[in-house]
Amino acid sequence: MRKKLFITLVFGLMVVPFIMGTATAKTLKIGSMSPLTGPYASDGTDIKNGVLTAIQVFEEAGGIPGYDKIELFPQDTACDPKQAVAAANKLINLEVVGVVGAYCSSSTIPSSETLDEEDIPMLTPASTNEKVTDRGLKYMFRLCGRDDDQAPAAAKFLKDSLNAKTVFIVDDKTTYSQGLADGVSKACKALGIEVVEHDHVNQGDKDFSAVLTKAKHANADIFYMSLQGYSPGALMALQAKRQGLKSQIVSQDAMFQPKFMEVAKEAAEGIYITYGFTDTTTPEYKAFENIYVPKYGSIAAYATYAYDAATVLLKAIKAAGATDPAKIKAEIMKMDFDGVAKRIKFRANGDSGSSYIAFKIENSKFVPYWSPEQGLLK
Amino acid sequence: MEYFIQQLINGITLGGLYALIALGYTMVYGVIQLINFAHGEFFAAGGYVGVILLSFFTGLGYMETHPILCLSAAFVLTMGYCAFLAVGVEKVAYKPLRRQSRLAALLSALGVSIFLSNGLMLTQGVYDKAYPSELFQGGIEFGMVTISYLQMMIVGMTIFLLFGLNILVFKTKIGMAMRATAQDKVMSSLVSISSNRIISLTFAIGAGLAAAAGIMVGLYYGSVRYDMGFLPGIKAFAAAVLGGIGNITGAMLGGLIIGMVEIFGAGYISGQYKDVFAFIILISVLYFKPTGIMGENIDDTRV
Repeated sequence: MRKKLFITLVFGLMVVPFIMGTATAKTLKIGSMSPLTGPYASDGTDIKNGVLTAIQVFEEAGGIPGYDKIELFPQDTACDPKQAVAAANKLINLEVVGVVGAYCSSSTIPSSETLDEEDIPMLTPASTNEKVTDRGLKYMFRLCGRDDDQAPAAAKFLKDSLNAKTVFIVDDKTTYSQGLADGVSKACKALGIEVVEHDHVNQGDKDFSAVLTKAKHANADIFYMSLQGYSPGALMALQAKRQGLKSQIVSQDAMFQPKFMEVAKEAAEGIYITYGFTDTTTPEYKAFENIYVPKYGSIAAYATYAYDAATVLLKAIKAAGATDPAKIKAEIMKMDFDGVAKRIKFRANGDSGSSYIAFKIENSKFVPYWSPEQGLLK
Repeated sequence: MEYFIQQLINGITLGGLYALIALGYTMVYGVIQLINFAHGEFFAAGGYVGVILLSFFTGLGYMETHPILCLSAAFVLTMGYCAFLAVGVEKVAYKPLRRQSRLAALLSALGVSIFLSNGLMLTQGVYDKAYPSELFQGGIEFGMVTISYLQMMIVGMTIFLLFGLNILVFKTKIGMAMRATAQDKVMSSLVSISSNRIISLTFAIGAGLAAAAGIMVGLYYGSVRYDMGFLPGIKAFAAAVLGGIGNITGAMLGGLIIGMVEIFGAGYISGQYKDVFAFIILISVLYFKPTGIMGENIDDTRV
């Protein structure tokens, strides 16, 4: 008798959450994937903060009809493909309607396949490798540019603006950094710039003295560094200055982070980087700045793109009035509006176009310097 | 030739830093036969305390008027802090397990390591912290060879610390007590050496050296981050094993060798294989001499 009572009680308790779940109103669940621990934790946290800002803005504007609340489930990928797939599976179990992420191309590529099997839309704010959108996945979108646009833009910049004859390339062997470095190497050769050497370092390295000594002796016109995050980039720039490297340093979008100058300080001055052009005078950008900066500090590389990605997703859900992936996709493809980072309009493959220009670091600021169409901007 | 000399200088600087960290592993192993995997975290903590103190001094303006004094104060305070941290860790995480199997203490060490590095992440944030860079700017140039003042400072400081440690271990009463404990805990306690105090002291010294290395790494590379202890910790552990774990001179030598091999591997072959070269050397030495270059030995050089 007692045992029966006990079983009934336990069973009753187990049922409670289900009854309560249906009684209270609905929560819209969305996921984000980015490295929240490990070497790229800072960039990953920026992405999470960008998404949170978008949710905040949306909720303040009245939210989405039919839902009380929008909840974000931020997942840590640690820039590790295995962990990224695990995170994707976790988000599938949580039944999220869409995912913003991931950061590293090497995480985005495998995890997007997992999400695609369940028809969950994925919008990457930061993965620039070509393969992200070139695999014909149905629900893969990209807010940032592509490396096969960035590499030729960088090579053209080296040739046209810096009159480079020789270049020394270093990368740190990730899908993104090595893919881009290979692209730059190819584009340089096509333009008649000699690639003196293409060396590699490891992720997590702090000591670059050996490679920099090599570069110093090679004495190429340009030292092109393609590293996965701003942190090794800043270390490399700082050590290059201390070693007395005379080559002009040029780098890529991963360095677009105010922390880069904070760590490298005066060694950052005069470095050029290529990054998607963002007009910081638009009302959209200013509005974002007013919410983001007081809460999370300075705006870094991919916070704006993450904000735009989350906005696209939420707008699409609102416009579709449903969480059906096909309807969300139809709405996403219809989008045409001014985001914080850029004009947002998707192509059939999920790309939204690149707008790479060269920035110069002057007085600890990224100053637009050169664009492939207009040449010098000043 | 200039290229070789420049790489040699780079290698000595890096090797010296590895040697300082490796000493902590080897000393602790010598006394209680424990691989203290949390040791890399003492190094990271040192880097952080250093940057906090130096930024504090810079904020007060003392950095411009008394740079050497400030730096010395930062070194002493940081080494002291990490020494206390290590003693605390030993009391909390290792001492209760001393009579258990060695595996228990080893797992406890791994746990402490994860705890400390995540603790650093939560309290200090995920972003890099930049060191004040005004210190030791510039250097001496001989043709294409540049020796920065920082490199000279690091090598000088490393030699000073290694020398000090040698005197402490081989020339003083405390050192004698440490060596006695390492050889035979029961016997040494019979001649009224408190093995608990000696073990604490060993942890304190090892962590102090790692903390000094932490500050120097911060100054040399310009910044610290919460996970900085992991990779150097592994390399320094490899250095300790290479030299013969438990052997102080071996740890110094092992550190230098690992540092040099890495730099020359990167400089002459390719940067992507530099860790591979370091571990190839480790494996090939252990293949022919399983106890390391100097050998894990039971004579009086062990601590």
